[in-house]
Amino acid sequence: MLALHGQIEEAVTKIKSHWDHPLDAGIILGTGLGSLAEQIEVQATIEYDEVPHFPKSTSESHRGRLVCGQLEGLSVIAMEGRVHHYEGHPLKRVTLPVRVMKSLGAGLLVVSNAVGGLNPYYRCGDIMVIEDHINLMGDNPLIGINDDRLGPRFPDMCQPYDFKLIQAALEISRQKNIVAHQGVLVAVTGPCLETRAEYRFLKNIGADVVGMSTVPEVIVAAHCGLRVVGFSIITDMCLPDALEPVEIDKILAVAGEAEPKLRTLVQEVLAREGEHGAPTRQKLE
Amino acid sequence: MPELDRKIEEATDYLRQRWQGTPRAGIILGTGMGGLVKSIEQQQATPYQSVPHFPGSTSVGHEGRLIFGRLNQVPVIAMQGRFHLYEGYTTQQVTLPVRVMKSLGIETLIVSNAAGGMNPRFSTGDIMVIEDHVNFMWKYPSAHLPAHRTLAGFRKPGRLYDQRLRDSALEIARAGALVLQQGVYVGLPGPSYETRAEYRFLRHIGDVVGMSTIPEVTAAVQCGIRVLGFSTITNMCLPDAISGTTADEVAAIADQVEPRLSYLVTRVLQRNN
Repeated sequence: MLALHGQIEEAVTKIKSHWDHPLDAGIILGTGLGSLAEQIEVQATIEYDEVPHFPKSTSESHRGRLVCGQLEGLSVIAMEGRVHHYEGHPLKRVTLPVRVMKSLGAGLLVVSNAVGGLNPYYRCGDIMVIEDHINLMGDNPLIGINDDRLGPRFPDMCQPYDFKLIQAALEISRQKNIVAHQGVLVAVTGPCLETRAEYRFLKNIGADVVGMSTVPEVIVAAHCGLRVVGFSIITDMCLPDALEPVEIDKILAVAGEAEPKLRTLVQEVLAREGEHGAPTRQKLE
Repeated sequence: MPELDRKIEEATDYLRQRWQGTPRAGIILGTGMGGLVKSIEQQQATPYQSVPHFPGSTSVGHEGRLIFGRLNQVPVIAMQGRFHLYEGYTTQQVTLPVRVMKSLGIETLIVSNAAGGMNPRFSTGDIMVIEDHVNFMWKYPSAHLPAHRTLAGFRKPGRLYDQRLRDSALEIARAGALVLQQGVYVGLPGPSYETRAEYRFLRHIGDVVGMSTIPEVTAAVQCGIRVLGFSTITNMCLPDAISGTTADEVAAIADQVEPRLSYLVTRVLQRNN
């Protein structure tokens, strides 16, 4: 953890050399939220390769660049393409961009992902606002000697997802007639999908959806004091007694169909933040 | 594992050069338990940094030294401050002190920790004698060990946390009119505290949750040491009525509990020496 501080500074310096605005919100675009980047009034794009210490994305559906600009009256940076633990990246590197966004001034982090639905009341293509999570990745991005400049040794996790933002997102979904649930995400490392026995277990321990990302980023956001709002798109249903083989094309197709709905939710949540005079922004020291 | 044996030997030799006598029992002092040290007489202390192959301890509320002396006439070696997996140490590093204490001659190990109470019948400030544990740390010290050091004895009832020591602790508590709970400790790697969803899940498998103890206990049982464990409930983890937790609050509660825990540890050792 002690090397992080210097790495963050170098990454921040590089980003500022391309785009020097106090940041309001960071957005991590998961599978199926890529098109949100097209809504941004783009002022700069930066490839991950150019930013020191940033990981390189190897996933098919993720591109790997930062889109910087204005969205709904807020200064935002969207991460187009996230990196995953299952690609072999250590969690400290996976989560470094979150710390960089914090350091650029962000007070809010928006995360999204594609997940499998465990809750039988959910449907393929539905959206779930993440209410809480269970970390079953067997790892934690905060392991190591803590750097107190970045956050506390033992960060509290009793409310990692901002309750007000959850309520706002659900309210917007009702107004826009979008199906949005509220539930618990369980994170596993992957990359193989779960067995039927594992789905039964994960459902029993209280999870509504299962994914392979997001939780490390949210733990780091809690560590550095960012408010978080998270969305999952249910791209396939994991019903152990009626399980169908997964096809990646199908998942991407479902994500593509759900995309406009999720984009609407994220934009409206950000718009509300913007109306309040960008309260999300941190005081820059 | 000649590499591990060599490390144990070098650390043991170093400590033997400084201390006379053979400790009968080892004590691992968890968060806020450092106060027990005051009861140790004729003490000699050695900082971890100076012991070959020992890492330094970094956690809040942990000082990081080995203390040799007598606790109520019983020769003991106490670890003031322990190593945690969340600090980035390997299970082998975390458990090295236990193996060294065994090599110095201990037969009994008493471990203590600060834990979050998930069993709603517990209260903040209670002490729990660890009846058993669930390893959710995703790490096993045995992974490094050859066959002759594996865990053949683990399935025997009462083998992990010694039944007689547990009974003895419960008896001493009753006689002293102290609340002493008994239950299952779930160990997680940390260092972030758990979410509400995680507490709901973990409540099904244990009574308290913490981030230590399991590697040391596993190693101790491997070496044939009798183990007794205490958890201090420093905060309650009730997912439907949760309030935030800070390391400072945890340390403050542990300080309040410390005299009671010291009493139990001292009496148990006296009776079972």
